[in-house]
Amino acid sequence: MPDIEIRMKVNGRARRATVPPRLTLADYLREHCRLTGTHVGCEHGVCGSCTVLMDGEAVRACLVFAVQADGAEITTVEGVAAPDGELSPVQSAFRDHHGLQCGFCTPGLVVTATAFLRDNPDPTDEEIRDCLSGNLCRCTGYQGILKAVRAAAGGPAAAEETG
Amino acid sequence: MKPAPFTYHAPRDAAETVGLLAELGEEAKLIAGGQSLVPMLALRLAVFDHLVDLRHVAGLRGIERRGDAVWIGAATTQAEIGRSEQVARDVPLLSRATPLIGHFQIRNRGTIGGSVAHADAAAEYPAIALTLDARLETLSPRGSRTLPAAGFFTGMWSTGLAEDELLTGITFPVRAPRSGFAVEEFARRSGDFALAGAAVAVELDGDAQIRRCAIGLFGLGPVPLRAVAAEAALAGRGTDSVSAEEVGSTAVAELRSVPADLHGSADYRRHVGAVMVARAWRRAVKEAGDA
Amino acid sequence: MNDETTNGARYAGTRVPRVEDPRLLTGHGTYVDDVARPGTLHACFVRSPLARASIGSVDASEALALEGVHAVFTAEDLNPGVHEQWYTLIGRDVPDTPRPQLAEGEVRFVGDPVALVVADDRYIAEDAAELVVVDYEPLPPVVDYATARDSGELVHADYPRNIACELAGLPVEDFPVFEEAAFTVRETIRQQAYAAVPIETRGIVAEWSAVTGEMAIWASTQSPHEMRLFCARLLGIDEHRVRVVMRDTGGGFGQKVLPMREEICIMLASLKVPGPLKWIEDRRENLLSAGQARHEHADARIAFDADGTMLATAIDYVQDVGAYPIPAPMNTCAVVGILFPGPYRVPQGTFATTGVFSNTVGRTAYRGPWQFESVAREVLLDIAAREMGMDPAELRRRNLLRRDEFPYTNHNGMPYSDVTPLDTFEQALEMLDYEAFRAEQARARTEGRFLGVGTCTYVEPTTDSLSLHATEGATIRIEPSGKVNVYVGGGSSGNSLETTVVQLTADALGVDIADVNTVQGDTAVTPFGGGTGGSRSGSMTAGAVEVTASILRERIAEIAAHRLEVSVDDVEVAGGQAAVRGKPETGIPLAEIASIAYFQPETLPPGVPPGLEASGRYRAQSPVIWANATHLCTCEVDVETGAVKLLRFIVSEDCGPMINPSVVEGQIAGGAVQGIGGALYEHLAYDEDGNPVSTTFMDYLLPTATEVPVIEYGHVETPGPGPGGYKGVGEGGAIGAPPAVVNAVADALAPFGVKITRLPVTPESIVALVRAARVREEAAG
Repeated sequence: MPDIEIRMKVNGRARRATVPPRLTLADYLREHCRLTGTHVGCEHGVCGSCTVLMDGEAVRACLVFAVQADGAEITTVEGVAAPDGELSPVQSAFRDHHGLQCGFCTPGLVVTATAFLRDNPDPTDEEIRDCLSGNLCRCTGYQGILKAVRAAAGGPAAAEETG
Repeated sequence: MKPAPFTYHAPRDAAETVGLLAELGEEAKLIAGGQSLVPMLALRLAVFDHLVDLRHVAGLRGIERRGDAVWIGAATTQAEIGRSEQVARDVPLLSRATPLIGHFQIRNRGTIGGSVAHADAAAEYPAIALTLDARLETLSPRGSRTLPAAGFFTGMWSTGLAEDELLTGITFPVRAPRSGFAVEEFARRSGDFALAGAAVAVELDGDAQIRRCAIGLFGLGPVPLRAVAAEAALAGRGTDSVSAEEVGSTAVAELRSVPADLHGSADYRRHVGAVMVARAWRRAVKEAGDA
Repeated sequence: MNDETTNGARYAGTRVPRVEDPRLLTGHGTYVDDVARPGTLHACFVRSPLARASIGSVDASEALALEGVHAVFTAEDLNPGVHEQWYTLIGRDVPDTPRPQLAEGEVRFVGDPVALVVADDRYIAEDAAELVVVDYEPLPPVVDYATARDSGELVHADYPRNIACELAGLPVEDFPVFEEAAFTVRETIRQQAYAAVPIETRGIVAEWSAVTGEMAIWASTQSPHEMRLFCARLLGIDEHRVRVVMRDTGGGFGQKVLPMREEICIMLASLKVPGPLKWIEDRRENLLSAGQARHEHADARIAFDADGTMLATAIDYVQDVGAYPIPAPMNTCAVVGILFPGPYRVPQGTFATTGVFSNTVGRTAYRGPWQFESVAREVLLDIAAREMGMDPAELRRRNLLRRDEFPYTNHNGMPYSDVTPLDTFEQALEMLDYEAFRAEQARARTEGRFLGVGTCTYVEPTTDSLSLHATEGATIRIEPSGKVNVYVGGGSSGNSLETTVVQLTADALGVDIADVNTVQGDTAVTPFGGGTGGSRSGSMTAGAVEVTASILRERIAEIAAHRLEVSVDDVEVAGGQAAVRGKPETGIPLAEIASIAYFQPETLPPGVPPGLEASGRYRAQSPVIWANATHLCTCEVDVETGAVKLLRFIVSEDCGPMINPSVVEGQIAGGAVQGIGGALYEHLAYDEDGNPVSTTFMDYLLPTATEVPVIEYGHVETPGPGPGGYKGVGEGGAIGAPPAVVNAVADALAPFGVKITRLPVTPESIVALVRAARVREEAAG
């Protein structure tokens, strides 16, 4: 079971490593790159906490082996905000609308919503719910998350606000 | 929940791939998108000494019109199929089934070939291939062949593919005029495997008589199924004389060995299967009538 | 949105953005698995594949031969290392149920940890765990708790009839009212096992230094100080040599209140391995071994007079405690019985409760552990209303306690106060426009569509004052620059406690919120605190901050008075300065006062200590603080498939004045959606042989964004007896939602004359009920 040399670009930085084939992309990012924002919540592709962009597409990093991402460009949650720390529109909207509580599922949701809004800049509420349905959250009841994504899409999230 | 160790192979072309499969035998498993395989590996429900990755294999990706059929490369992702205007126009049933597969992150990696070869009885694509009488193109060290979808699914997660055989592409017939299509499934939550699902393709003649129809069922047996007896009974009848509920109950009457688990007994799945068939039938017939 | 509350607070009551968010949104939180200590070793448990078996030999030779494996521990290796094992929350002398570290002699549920593998990484540890050969002799398991009392088999030999605990009031036969009343409803209501299921599983890193005799622990926990005390006792180490750190915990909901068997094993094993030891539970383990909750049933009855006035309630309640409950189950068992009358005027009644062992995973604390009192009562009330031909809202209105009736002591002797059940009920109905909904429902039925509405009204004890929870401390340092650091036990586990503390401190010291920072979750630097549990954090930390800030306010005023040459009583501390009351232009900035306090102590007024740092400890002022709410849900049921679509979900809550409405609503929504999950989707199920059948997220169905409705909030703000009048709000959502959902579905199906007495309400169960009703109807002709 020989280890394999891989190269990829993670958040714009070139990375090179020799890894066992069974190492998941999620574990590679967390353990080898020390990018621990990609969270592992189920390791069987349901919870969505480990969602990253692979060549621009949102994927479950627990369902990709690091060797399969050889040559790819990866964006993790650490690569979403501006280099000076300014939050992205999606991140700001999550903060403005109480879109996170414990924060564990949040990186996957931020990455998911970022990819979704890039491809669907004017989504319906139903499309937003459908897009988010592959990411489990146990704290918020999804209320703040739905508002945040609606707001990040430029919609009238404020209309749903109470209080 | 970590996979057992394996040796990784990333062959450059199809011939090299099937050569490897022949050499490694049953210890090897093909991996395309991996969206069904990797969870099984992580849970160690499946253990293989070798994974043969199709990511570098040329010629397995794309969507092309070929005569009166649409060819889709086996490694084409579900997301690509979902976005394809060609598929939406020429193979609408496939297009409509696509959003029902998992979640969009899954569809970004999952492939049509992987889905069909994995042959989950509750999955959408195998049932659609069966319903539309798709043809499956394969390659092995003995050469290429084309298999009809009928008979391809031989049991739970098993198919007519030989151990050293690679599914390279799938061709779907282009829709006929005066035809209609619908897929309906019932799952506990959005994105879950269907407890029961039905795909209906119906073609009418000029007098609103059923020229032919196909009823595919998924989640209702060890393999995806066609409601053959129900289809035969419907051919030649006028759509006005057929009640959708009757189609539904006839379609499930043929079922043997309906699965059961925590989420639904066999009896319940059969019941919901009939409802799904009826709903799909109604929509498909309406579309055909409006065409 | 309030900018200024009546007591002059600038931040309390407002939707202050969370201070936790920037790090969590950018992937810079620190959860336990993010902790990377040099030389870390990784643990994996070998778990029982059988529900019950005696353990013969354990052969680890093949596992130990694998490269990268350091050790395989069995019960013989670890269990003798225990000095004392008890939870501060419960107390040393309170009778506890059995709780071995690794299984000894017998395994008692599928997932029971039998051995512990330590290896270079988790991949290798899992490889090795597969190679450990355990010789099991299968024994007949006691799978069904409901029949366990009559089983010939015992889960624990010392507990006859598998009874873990029992408590009963007067026998129900002593209450002839149930026989004599105009109407008595009696049903057996059943709830399935479901669980907390935080998205971050459990996890711990334990790093023992033999040289210094110090233990450092990083853990996913709701209570770092409980974990420290527990670890010190367990290993016989002095408390001050144990340090527990939690910066971010990915949800707990009760599951992470107390260290469980796996964490105990890691603490014990960490003394025996040559590096920090990390165990990160995987999802299958979490669903297998981190505990169940909610598995229970009751024979419940309510007696009414002819006009629907409640005359008496009685409940005979039985709880599945599994094999190894944590904590011992007596408390929640008792509370279910005692609270069964709920917020209703009920002159008499009784209860009996029993906890029963089974060969399934142990029961653990979960958000509103006693919520079955509401499930049983509220479901029963709807059944009664339908059978009496009354509108369920009218029936409740007639019996709910009015504001002017409190304090009120229920017939089991439980006193309630400062609650407003009827107010929240009416508010929720008004938000819906109940009459309009009934009209819409009637219209829909004529079209063959089935809409329903259900409610649940409850009172909930929050902020208990027992043992671990009796006090909460805070240390506030106004640094020499005038910036403020506030230290509380706390820790971020999803309840926004950092934001809450910063808000409260900024108000208490009259400073800008940007000038306040908080340090939490590290036992080495924070004062002792009870942690997150029992909906106590808001009230107790508010008390701790106020007690401590008042010391500093006084000191600041004294320094300023001295400098300004006025009386202390004439000084006002606000706006980041201390000034003569009404003359803000005389103000001395806090930075200058701090500078005096630290650098010019010789200029301080006599008797004023140097520095601007204080610690204080708040003691709870009442045994509990009561909160209350009404949940209201509407739905449409597809009677062909049994699918339930929730339409509106309204929560009218009285948690007193709100420190941060966004935080309050976030807690309500999260709890309510967990409750929706419990009513419709989640089921930690076992087959007849005791094999768990929902140990992945494909089978354990958490609600997703497509299943949940928009949640609408109504607030009634009645101050409670604690600081600021704040009450707890963390748990209630999970209490009120399940009965509201069940009642809504039952209401939708009312035309079929069906009765729902069993959770979860699955599509299959709905189809079965409707079918049976149709068969009955046909039979009746």
